[in-house]
Amino acid sequence: MKKIRLRVNGIRRELIAAPATVLLDVLREDLRLTGAKQSCDRKGQCGACTVVVNRQAMRSCRVRVADLEGAEIVTVEGLGTPDNPHLIQEAFVLSGAIQCGFCTPGMIMAAKALLDANPDPTPAEIKQALRRNLCRCTGYKKIIEAVELAGRFLRGETTPQAVRPTAVQGIMGVSHPRPSAMAKACGAAYFTADYAVKGALELAVLRSAIPHARIVSIDASQAEKMPGVAGVMTAADIKGTNILKYLVADRPVLCKDTVRYIGDPILAVAADTREHAAAALEKVQVELDPLPTLSGPGAALDAAAPRLHADIPNLCFDQPQSKGDAQKALQDSAAVVSARFRTQINHQAPLEPEATIAYWEQDEAGGDDQLVIIGRSINIHYHLGMLQSALGWENMRYIEAFSGGQFGIKIDVISEGIAGAAAIHFRRPVRYIPSLAESMLMTSKRHAFDMQVKLAADAQGRLTAYCNDLVVDNGAYHSIGHVVVHRALLMLSGSYHIPNVAARGRLVYTNNPWGSAARGAGPPQVNFALECAMEMLAEKLGVDPFDFRLQNSLRPGQSKSTGRVVQEWPFPALMEALRPHYRRAVKEAAAGRSGRIKRGVGLGTGAFGIGGPGDAAVAAVELDPDGGLSVYAAAADPGEGNDSMLTQLTAECMAIPLDRVRLYTRDTGNTAASGPAAGSRVTYMIGSALLNALEQLKAAMQSTGAKTSSELEAAGRPKRYIGRKKNEDAGPLDPQTGQGPSFESQVHAVQMVELEVDTETGKVKVLKMTTAVDAGPVINPLNLTGQLEGGMDMGVGFALREEYVAGRTRDWVTFKFPTIRDSFDMEIIVRETPRPKGPLGATGVGEMCLVPTAPAVINAIRNAVGVWICELPATPDKIKAALAAA
Amino acid sequence: MRAIAGREVAFDEEGFFEDFESWSEEIFEALAQESGIEAITDQHRRVVRFLRDFYAYNGRAPLNNQLRQGMGLSLLELEGLFPQGLKLGARRLAGLPNPKTCS
Repeated sequence: MKKIRLRVNGIRRELIAAPATVLLDVLREDLRLTGAKQSCDRKGQCGACTVVVNRQAMRSCRVRVADLEGAEIVTVEGLGTPDNPHLIQEAFVLSGAIQCGFCTPGMIMAAKALLDANPDPTPAEIKQALRRNLCRCTGYKKIIEAVELAGRFLRGETTPQAVRPTAVQGIMGVSHPRPSAMAKACGAAYFTADYAVKGALELAVLRSAIPHARIVSIDASQAEKMPGVAGVMTAADIKGTNILKYLVADRPVLCKDTVRYIGDPILAVAADTREHAAAALEKVQVELDPLPTLSGPGAALDAAAPRLHADIPNLCFDQPQSKGDAQKALQDSAAVVSARFRTQINHQAPLEPEATIAYWEQDEAGGDDQLVIIGRSINIHYHLGMLQSALGWENMRYIEAFSGGQFGIKIDVISEGIAGAAAIHFRRPVRYIPSLAESMLMTSKRHAFDMQVKLAADAQGRLTAYCNDLVVDNGAYHSIGHVVVHRALLMLSGSYHIPNVAARGRLVYTNNPWGSAARGAGPPQVNFALECAMEMLAEKLGVDPFDFRLQNSLRPGQSKSTGRVVQEWPFPALMEALRPHYRRAVKEAAAGRSGRIKRGVGLGTGAFGIGGPGDAAVAAVELDPDGGLSVYAAAADPGEGNDSMLTQLTAECMAIPLDRVRLYTRDTGNTAASGPAAGSRVTYMIGSALLNALEQLKAAMQSTGAKTSSELEAAGRPKRYIGRKKNEDAGPLDPQTGQGPSFESQVHAVQMVELEVDTETGKVKVLKMTTAVDAGPVINPLNLTGQLEGGMDMGVGFALREEYVAGRTRDWVTFKFPTIRDSFDMEIIVRETPRPKGPLGATGVGEMCLVPTAPAVINAIRNAVGVWICELPATPDKIKAALAAA
Repeated sequence: MRAIAGREVAFDEEGFFEDFESWSEEIFEALAQESGIEAITDQHRRVVRFLRDFYAYNGRAPLNNQLRQGMGLSLLELEGLFPQGLKLGARRLAGLPNPKTCS
């Protein structure tokens, strides 16, 4: 131990620290300055913990406190507060550079050190300074713009007042700062791991290191004697069903007799500190008897393969889709292409690791105490019900903390099950804050697809038939597996009119990580196959791929692969909007093919359904005593900007200032059960339910002349209204034909990638992506473009780099997380065709932004160097091999 | 969809109403009989009314302690009224839809 004197945010501190103690832990745990975040297991990979030490940006997880004698440290809390923010914090808020906000404090502190030394940095200098700071949400574009704006503020060239939108500009279509942004910019937004709970037990969980085994025995006797240990919890200690049933009852909180994937939880040790819990875990003796591994759908579908779940076949879902007569159309077509496309298992990669807090609230009336869960859920009401059943405790409440991104990963319950079970078993508060490595092990993944495809056209270049035999690796547990297959089939024909379709979607249990929602959830995979096949077919027909796509656009009155006829399809106008950009890009690429580095252009389109069959949402509004409005809707906001959406829609509808709208969205104790923040549905479904409630309130206010809650009640009218929204086109697809209900609306996009391929190394450098999008009237432009930019960046990662390999992918380096140095130029073209049933005509956009991306990248590689990469990710090795074989 | 008490009603896979407005006293009585409630009492009807009023006001089911306080009954007493428990029994019979999920 060593006594250290230093200054933190101008305050002198004296600390006694062990030699290995790092600054991050002292800041967060001793000084309770939780603005600096922990993501990468203290490996210095993410920069979320960046603070300024002696005027230098330092990753505080890599700085030993023992080396800081006399140091001057500034954290994000020392920079400014929400009431008195620093100009850099203002710049991040006003630039739309803050989505989930988890990386924001680190980004801001890295920017602070840069701007102190260089008040007018170039974009290249900004990228260099922020090269160690990761962001999953933004694609880095707005972060670079925020640093540039901060420089302008600091140089006195402009002011936040001059940049900030005013009431005069109106509400809709104006980038009013997100209500939550400033708290995130100042480190004042509480993420789950930021909560300290006095007396809470910390957990360490033993997880299977092999993919399939029988649990023969567990001996925790030595672990229970270790210092600080409160006890060891196994499946036998869980009072409820021990099954986290999302749609199928197959996933245990803790495994009882069998483990089914690398990462399956076996037991939990609870102790007074994480270190004690981890040390005790080392003493647990577990004997596993390995079982045959179902390494993929091929192995699992073998007739001799054992069942992964005794009561469910490995082929757990099988949905054909048939429209017209595809086989006959294939025979009659002038051109047919055939190919096999495969996508990888991938991690959604929110920057914040999994985390749950569970604590008890005493019932003063003498009933059962209430177990409160704080976590990262995007569907708090549904998850609450899952937890009540699994854990056998009825009196429970769920609170959504600020959440460091999720991208589908939190559609299902993850760490909440074990944390809640431990709180019940030990009757103590519990903090379960797993490492990044453990978070990667325990969470769901994007499903891998294996697709055998045929696409055909007639001599005039009109699509005639499409066949897609898709096999989906479900992994060990179901979660939303069949929904992903459904969604793939619902959006199978993408942007196009294809009169004949023959498809089959099969979902197969394996011993791989369990698949679940991942941004787009199905359509990004099938659209990769369709859009690459479109390129192949255009090539075979000798027609321009741009014109080929436009020619084959679906039109109102024609039907999708589900047979549902569409009433609106504003895709052709989007193509026309992109046309001049495409012409420019093709010309520039043609001039860049002579040397080792070759340039290519690729296109991808997408039509993403919003408001699925039978989807329903509810929201409540209440007129307040001061004439303001409170909105009660469980509309999770892990970074998309749903707080902006709810606030701006309310202010617009009721003609009140934004600051008179109060949101209650995070607690099962006071919100309407609005459904998941998934499927890009929040704006369309919850926004519509909100408007429905507001219209009722407005009518009551207008008919009575009331301006406040007391006036309204005095006039005999309620102050609170419930709004609803439902897609009446409900029900499953026909099990034989795959024909049936579909989405109520679509968001449309076309993306164009410009890139370079190094023919010697196989490395790809994306130069620019241009997205033309039509999501209806825009509510908040910076939120819309922020989603698109982040989606493009994520889509490129999916196309070129990212893959989750169980046991090998354990941090951000092995995952190949996109950095600011991978970032590229982005341009967005917006069209705003109103959707008749959307809230003020709007739809959603959160997932569409990466649906066309991977095929656009692969098509551009083909355009550059003439090879097809049909198995994602398109790594340099695969490209080199394809070039060698060409 | 299934026919019950002379009407076509949409239920989800767990037997919860898809639409809060589809509920009627007659359907409640039919479902109650199916669920093993031998005789519907005023207490049953009070619980169902409380649940429906709460949902209509809040857009969600009450937390259990809110139900307990609202009814002035213990959880044990409430569970005793509905053989299938509070969720599958009381809430389902009162026509409260399941929270929406990704299905």
